[in-house]
Amino acid sequence: MQNGGEYLLELDHITRRFLSVTALKDVCLKLKRDEVLAICGENGAGKSTLMKILSGSDSFGNYEGTIRINSQPMRFRSTKDAENAGIEMIYQEISLHLDLTVAENLFMGALPATKWKTVDWRRMIKDAYEYLQNVGLHVDPRQKVKTLSTSQQQLLSIARAIAKKPKILVLDEPTSALTQTEAENLLRVIKDLKARHVSCLYISHKMDEIFQIADRVTVLRDGEHIADYAACDVTPKKLVEDMVGRKIEVLYPKQQAHIGEEILRVEDFCVPHPYMKDRNIVDGVSFGLRRGEILGIAGLVGAGRSELLNAIFKAQEDGVSGKVWLEGKRIDGLSLRGIKESGIGYLTEDRKRNGFIAGAAIRENIVLASLSKIVRGGLIDHKAERQYATEYFRKLSVKAPDIETPMFHLSGGNQQKVVLAKWMMTDLKVMFFDEPTRGIDVGAKTEIYRLISDMANQGIGIILVSSEMPELISMCDRFLVLSHGKFRAEFTKDNVSQEKIMKAATLVEEN
Amino acid sequence: MNSHSKKSKLSQLLQRFDQLGIVLVLIVLMVAVGFKNSTFYSWDNIINVLRSTSFIFIIGIAITYVLITGGLDLSVGSVMAMAGILSAMTAQAGAPLLVSILCGILFGFAIGLINGILVVRMNIPTLIVTLGMMYVVDGLVLIVTKGSPIYPLPDSFKALGQGSILGVPNIVLIALVLALIGAFVLHNTQYGRCVYAIGGNRETARLAGIHVNAIQMSVYVLASVSASLGGILMAGRLNSAQPSAGSGYELTVVAAVIIGGTSMFGGSGSIFGTLLGALLMTVIENALLLMKISAYWQSLIVGIIIIFAVGLDQYRRKKYGMG
Repeated sequence: MQNGGEYLLELDHITRRFLSVTALKDVCLKLKRDEVLAICGENGAGKSTLMKILSGSDSFGNYEGTIRINSQPMRFRSTKDAENAGIEMIYQEISLHLDLTVAENLFMGALPATKWKTVDWRRMIKDAYEYLQNVGLHVDPRQKVKTLSTSQQQLLSIARAIAKKPKILVLDEPTSALTQTEAENLLRVIKDLKARHVSCLYISHKMDEIFQIADRVTVLRDGEHIADYAACDVTPKKLVEDMVGRKIEVLYPKQQAHIGEEILRVEDFCVPHPYMKDRNIVDGVSFGLRRGEILGIAGLVGAGRSELLNAIFKAQEDGVSGKVWLEGKRIDGLSLRGIKESGIGYLTEDRKRNGFIAGAAIRENIVLASLSKIVRGGLIDHKAERQYATEYFRKLSVKAPDIETPMFHLSGGNQQKVVLAKWMMTDLKVMFFDEPTRGIDVGAKTEIYRLISDMANQGIGIILVSSEMPELISMCDRFLVLSHGKFRAEFTKDNVSQEKIMKAATLVEEN
Repeated sequence: MNSHSKKSKLSQLLQRFDQLGIVLVLIVLMVAVGFKNSTFYSWDNIINVLRSTSFIFIIGIAITYVLITGGLDLSVGSVMAMAGILSAMTAQAGAPLLVSILCGILFGFAIGLINGILVVRMNIPTLIVTLGMMYVVDGLVLIVTKGSPIYPLPDSFKALGQGSILGVPNIVLIALVLALIGAFVLHNTQYGRCVYAIGGNRETARLAGIHVNAIQMSVYVLASVSASLGGILMAGRLNSAQPSAGSGYELTVVAAVIIGGTSMFGGSGSIFGTLLGALLMTVIENALLLMKISAYWQSLIVGIIIIFAVGLDQYRRKKYGMG
């Protein structure tokens, strides 16, 4: 069995082109037996293209180069091919059937049958217990999957993958939806698998995880293979620099703006929990924001950061209480429109869902929140509209043929620039950013940071919510850590560190 | 750069292709029918076609608005009948023309408002609300009329539906004026822009400070009021308010709007497209009649065209990643 040489899986000079774009350029990657190889890279580095080729789900499958397993050349034309070769994938987004039971999900596609060709429930439940034990998931196999927590669902996905007895397990940022404790549990399971001769490709850009479980690290950037390291002789700083391709300082072009008087004041703010009755996800918080200041709000996913911004902006009103002042005037009684007109802008977490209109042109999206500026007596002044749209189109250097290009033609970064342009065209005093650089490439990220920094320079007060610690720490002047409904800590630029923020963010859980 | 501009030209063509398709179908149909039976081009027949088109089109304009916001209204057929009946009854009772018209219109306004409130405030799917309302108003019609038509109508009422200016029927002129207003509002006013924005992405529109609830409600009012107007004109035209005057109209109108290229998913559509759609529906009917083909074929042909139109819309969405 061990006749295949040193490497279990070899990707040899893989190149994948899409029309004019080269997604992967001559990438080489080698996975040894019984090891965890971390693959790290920014969005757009080619990780997902690599995953697709490896899982056989690249619908065209016309890449150059060879994949070898145990030194045997392979070509996967369907996901079935890849499974037969012993490769199982675990994706970032959990893909389970929520209305079916744990056991059914576990054996989906290969349900044990009785001699009458009906489902053998008894055997299925019995086997299910065994597989669940493997990943340390203690639930009833008869339970419906929708009753499980996110981390339990993620563990179930892994149990399902292991049930197929793979030789290679590929995990794509499996902890992105998990809390710290849950993530650690997952990492333990992966270490366990290694001991049972399952090798892992672990795709992530979270440094702490990589250094906890990886034996080796491969860095990709812009579709190219950048470096290989043994995990023990590389530093996180070096890895990040490899990932972004330059010194990190350049990535965050933050200039120190003049910080003026207080512009926004929030007192005793409460927001009810979206799922749990009689509980507040934001529970009586108070804070202030100054002109030109960038205030970072840190916290784990689900800590209530987005809910806080939503409620201040009146995107969500039910059950919200608390007082808000803008430039000394109470604004919590206003409608969403009133809040917007008084000078607050809000770039939401999920731009596709509520940030822009995909079917409309760039022009229509830019002017959407400032229609009053291009309307005279109810009629649209088409010339003024084009002028405004062109002005912001150029100012933010949106990459598109012209302002009439529909939004769905643009890349994520350029879509985000248009969303930002929409808010910049309103008369802003305060701007909320919720995960402003999620899913956009490094180049566009830097441009967005520069724009945020410029806005602060103009005296706009900015609140930045981000799960990317380096981004948060480099961009903000002050930090508030939200956990279990309250601010647990406040830091300034001078005394902040990732560790301190993480500690405050997870504080209550450990008590 | 070159390949990109080529691509966007192609996509522009494809984005308009559905209307291009209808225009072609219309032309082929009209030439073929005229060739077989020259009475198609007689003044009487043309007026006839235009008059039938106008009934569909008057309601179609408002339904285009509803569909652009991503909604649907199936109650317009029943509202049409009920408004006609209410106006006819008040006219018979001796009320002045204007008052009797107002009665029908007010009824439509009320139904539209209820539809709008149920959709926006109670969050009930628009299909369910308007389907329910269709039955409710149908019921009202039968309760009020006990199934028999209201006739005869006063002369002033008749003149409204049967009169003409320079040989062009009033109804066609009214449709023309409404079309111009409808198209102008849709493309040149803040209101029109908001209608598109809501259908394009309701949440994005709401967060941009647009009064999405008020605008959504208003399009249902618009639809019901237009249906009332259509019903009143039809009662005048037939010199009687029929309990079944609007039966099937809701679907005919939606079909015309969809064939005209307005998306079932909201966010896009045009009044001109709806005009073509309404015209196509009528020309098919007329053509079958003149070519002495059984009218039973009409539904089959319209059905195929609808599936084709919506299929093309879906294909475009998939192809350009909007789905």
